[in-house]
Amino acid sequence: MSAVVEPGARAASAAGGSVRQKLVFKSGNEAAAIAARDVGYHVMGYFPITPSTEVAEGLAKMQADGEHETVMIAGDGEHGAAGICYGAALGGGRVLNATSSQGLLYALEQLPVQSGTRVPMVLNVAARTVSGPLDIRGDHSDLYYTLNTGWIVLLARDPQAVYDLNLAAVRIGEHADVRLPVIVAYDGFFTSHQKRRTWVFDDPEAVRGFLGERPAYPTPLDTEHPATFGPYMNDPDLINNKVQLSGAMEAARRVIPEVIAELAVLTGRSYPIVDAYRMEDADAAVLLLNSAAETAKGVADDLRAKGERVGVLSPNVLRPFPADELRAALRGVRGLTIGDRADSYGAGGGNLSLEVRAALQQDPADRTRVVSRIYGLGGKDFYAADAERFFEEAAAAATTGRVEVPFAYHGATPGAPGRAPRPGLPPIPAAELSRGMARVRPNGNGGLAVELEPLWKMTEVPSRIAPGHGACPGCGIFPTLHQVFRVLEGDVVALFQTGCAMVVSTGYPATAHRINYVHNLFQNGAATLSGLVEMYHERVRRGELPASKDITFVMISGDGGMDIGMGPALGAAHRDHKMMIIEYDNQGYMNTGAQLSYSTPLGHRTATSEIGSKLSGKRYHHKDTAQIFAACHLPYVFTASEGYPEDLMRKVAKAQHYAKNEGLVYGKILSYCPLNWRTDDDAAQPVLQAAIDSCFFPLYEVEHGHTRVTYDPDATARRRPVADWLGLMGKTRHLLEPRNAEVVRRIQEETDRRWRRLRAMHEHPEL
Amino acid sequence: MEQRTFELRFDSIGGLGAHAAGQILATAAVLRMGMNGSHFSSYGSEKKGSRIRSFIRLGSAEVPIRTSAPVERPDAIVVFHAALLRDPTTLAGLRRSGTFIYDAPPGPAPAELAALPRAARVIRVDARGIASAERSRPNAVLLGTLCGAFPFLRERDVLDALTEEFASRRPEAVASNTRAFERGRTEHEVMEDVGHAEGDVPAAASEPAWGYLTQPVGGVVPLPGNTAWNDLSASRTGSIPVLDREKCAHCGVCDLVCPDLCFVWGAGPAGGRFERELMGIDYRYCKGCLRCVESCPTGALAKTAETAGLADRLRVPLFPGIVG
Repeated sequence: MSAVVEPGARAASAAGGSVRQKLVFKSGNEAAAIAARDVGYHVMGYFPITPSTEVAEGLAKMQADGEHETVMIAGDGEHGAAGICYGAALGGGRVLNATSSQGLLYALEQLPVQSGTRVPMVLNVAARTVSGPLDIRGDHSDLYYTLNTGWIVLLARDPQAVYDLNLAAVRIGEHADVRLPVIVAYDGFFTSHQKRRTWVFDDPEAVRGFLGERPAYPTPLDTEHPATFGPYMNDPDLINNKVQLSGAMEAARRVIPEVIAELAVLTGRSYPIVDAYRMEDADAAVLLLNSAAETAKGVADDLRAKGERVGVLSPNVLRPFPADELRAALRGVRGLTIGDRADSYGAGGGNLSLEVRAALQQDPADRTRVVSRIYGLGGKDFYAADAERFFEEAAAAATTGRVEVPFAYHGATPGAPGRAPRPGLPPIPAAELSRGMARVRPNGNGGLAVELEPLWKMTEVPSRIAPGHGACPGCGIFPTLHQVFRVLEGDVVALFQTGCAMVVSTGYPATAHRINYVHNLFQNGAATLSGLVEMYHERVRRGELPASKDITFVMISGDGGMDIGMGPALGAAHRDHKMMIIEYDNQGYMNTGAQLSYSTPLGHRTATSEIGSKLSGKRYHHKDTAQIFAACHLPYVFTASEGYPEDLMRKVAKAQHYAKNEGLVYGKILSYCPLNWRTDDDAAQPVLQAAIDSCFFPLYEVEHGHTRVTYDPDATARRRPVADWLGLMGKTRHLLEPRNAEVVRRIQEETDRRWRRLRAMHEHPEL
Repeated sequence: MEQRTFELRFDSIGGLGAHAAGQILATAAVLRMGMNGSHFSSYGSEKKGSRIRSFIRLGSAEVPIRTSAPVERPDAIVVFHAALLRDPTTLAGLRRSGTFIYDAPPGPAPAELAALPRAARVIRVDARGIASAERSRPNAVLLGTLCGAFPFLRERDVLDALTEEFASRRPEAVASNTRAFERGRTEHEVMEDVGHAEGDVPAAASEPAWGYLTQPVGGVVPLPGNTAWNDLSASRTGSIPVLDREKCAHCGVCDLVCPDLCFVWGAGPAGGRFERELMGIDYRYCKGCLRCVESCPTGALAKTAETAGLADRLRVPLFPGIVG
């Protein structure tokens, strides 16, 4: 054994405070979910995004087990989720949301509306890097975007603070002098996913007593007092609305400590506006937000033990900005390193740094030299050694009264000549990709006929995707893509929306793509690709690019991407750009850990449509995306499955022809997901077959408006009840219990209804 | 003596239960033994079958755990998958008198473990074998071994936490987990004379390949298909598909259902029956899902237990001359 004093058994030290509490071992996200359960919110509007998704997941599980009755609404994207929350909050009840990164930015335009119209709610932000390139780990680049939104921002450095401040946030925002929405921000992964000792209320009555009733503010649900919410307000008036908002923020300076003090009586835990650690006689200090400040405290202890007069400052409240408290805390400090976990590019410091410097400048007695450092971007870990460096720089400034380098990035890697990732594979000549594996001809009937080469022959075509990607064993996405790319001829430019396929194929600095590949945002792929398509044709027209290339443009999306991205995809469809949209449908947001998408069928279990004593999976039917695109009157729409490769490849060949010669095509491909369907890695064939034979997922195409079923289980006497399919997957096995017979009946009825409708369209030449 | 936290790292691949094991251990320590603790796992875009590390810190309830950074210098490392022993970062950071627990059937310690400190305690346990015999999972066995190696981790408390984890979800698993745990606690072997290094194992240095002076502007990756250098063989959990070319009809169905794009094709011999022939499998990329076996119409592909060296012997490289 090393020189460790082994931790022996000790009784858990009881929490202080006057209320009965329970010790739990929970992450920040779990603490937020428990707090939300204890608050008993009326409504949660949300959309899954890493790393905040677990808040909704935790609540979904607790709801299924009957622990709360919050109405959980999965938005079509964060913009929609924020709208759901705004509407719900206007309705006068308590409302919760949780998001991160791009989700926060996508929701951003809703935030000033909410504060400007003075509608309280609580938003948990598990802070994460904003794109691009896409990075899922934690920094504060999303959080800093909220600074100008008029929301109160509370900072939670650990799961305990996440729990406590979520309770305080409700009271603070609802206070009559404040009436503002509140953000509780904690560090993505470092806090959101790290389990710590956490005390929670073990007395629901005490929580209710602390929170009280939500005050009654004007609401459109009060029909006795008609009012207009959200008028058109121009220049003479808007500034006055903002004076009120600014005044509410000032009132919050008084209300926040009052509420936190009231909570502290119950819990024994307090949160000063600025947390000052060993600052009494410090002449050098480090100022950091959230989890990194805790790391620095450990280092401060070590340095104090060596006789150095150092301390750590970290605000618990970022809006309203605690300028007075920081000035007071820094009175005796000669050297201060401010670490920002996000840059305000071109400003010479991150937002925290800029605001602290501005606050100090207001102090005529200020003698603090400030060192501004950007650190920990994209989730780069902040170790004790990093904190030591920050203290050294602060101490040097304190000693010399000068700052050699006022602003710099800390912890970046310069790189070295000759050092580089592994090389790529040689480009594949277009001729090798145009071997006529699927020959397309007019069928004499206004449509197309396709002749396929045998499968073995197709192995002559090099794969446009290299092996070595990180998908799960048995993943259906790559067989799907392999089959699609097998028949596509010539040069292809691919755009992937955010999702499993994108993430596992492009982990920097590696890429599985051997052709040109683009990723933009989760929801904006169709718009992005349409812009690229039009630029291509315009540059060809101007003679800047050769027409002979005849590039095919393909967007690849999951079914989740066709929820959040439905608007841009429909926009591209209505504009009829020459491009393909291929959706791999694995019935959920699998990249973020299997949350429900609108393509998740009724009753299916996901992390946000849980099963328990009170709930039996998703509450509404799956969306019929193919019919939505059919209604756009595109030249070609199809469904297919990786379990029917030849049918799939014929349709993709047709789709390429139409995309090159006519306009936008859309195809939805049922794709296997053993991890989240809870099936064996090698069970794709029977599961997909059952989905198709039960007519849950019919194979058909809509060519110039004419619907044709390409595989008819009735005609081949292979039709089976949906229960046969549902019994094959762990995510649906609960449906075969007698208590869920009604759910199965509804799935069967909806499946039959959609199938009959499809058959009718198949038979009628005008449908 | 300096009082500090006791730090553990679990090295595994997604799906083997390392995260769950870390959570069970830390929960037991905090809620049942009255310690302070923290637990988290490495997160990224990892999916099932990808590398995962789980970190646990334990200490006295009175001493705060400040850092949320990964454990750099563990007191104990538990390796959930023998294939990871080939990766030097699996050993990284172990303290000179630390404990190293790995999963392997009886036999001499792999040569790679010579890089461990001379003073380190090295423990072998047949976690997969025991788990398979007891219809449990390797994580239950390894938790037992950990408790056997560190008596301050009270076995009763850890076992209770393990039981609680499964009691609601899979009550039928409780008894088998208990047996697996108990066998792990008692049936491990302390290996002699394994490590030959002096001092602590150096912590892993993870410098990115490109820095700000060399990274192509805008995050562009001008290296098409360089995932071909990745080695995914550690994603497998015991079985590989093995091709019997005598039975193969070279139909191409396997190729269309393989998620890992690892089938190798070539031209058939002139005048032969087949114009194109399936030459074999590049096991560097095969994650062992066995979809090909399930789909093979002639039985030419068979599920086969992956014994040491089998995949290397049978491997047909997909990119000969480029990726060795």
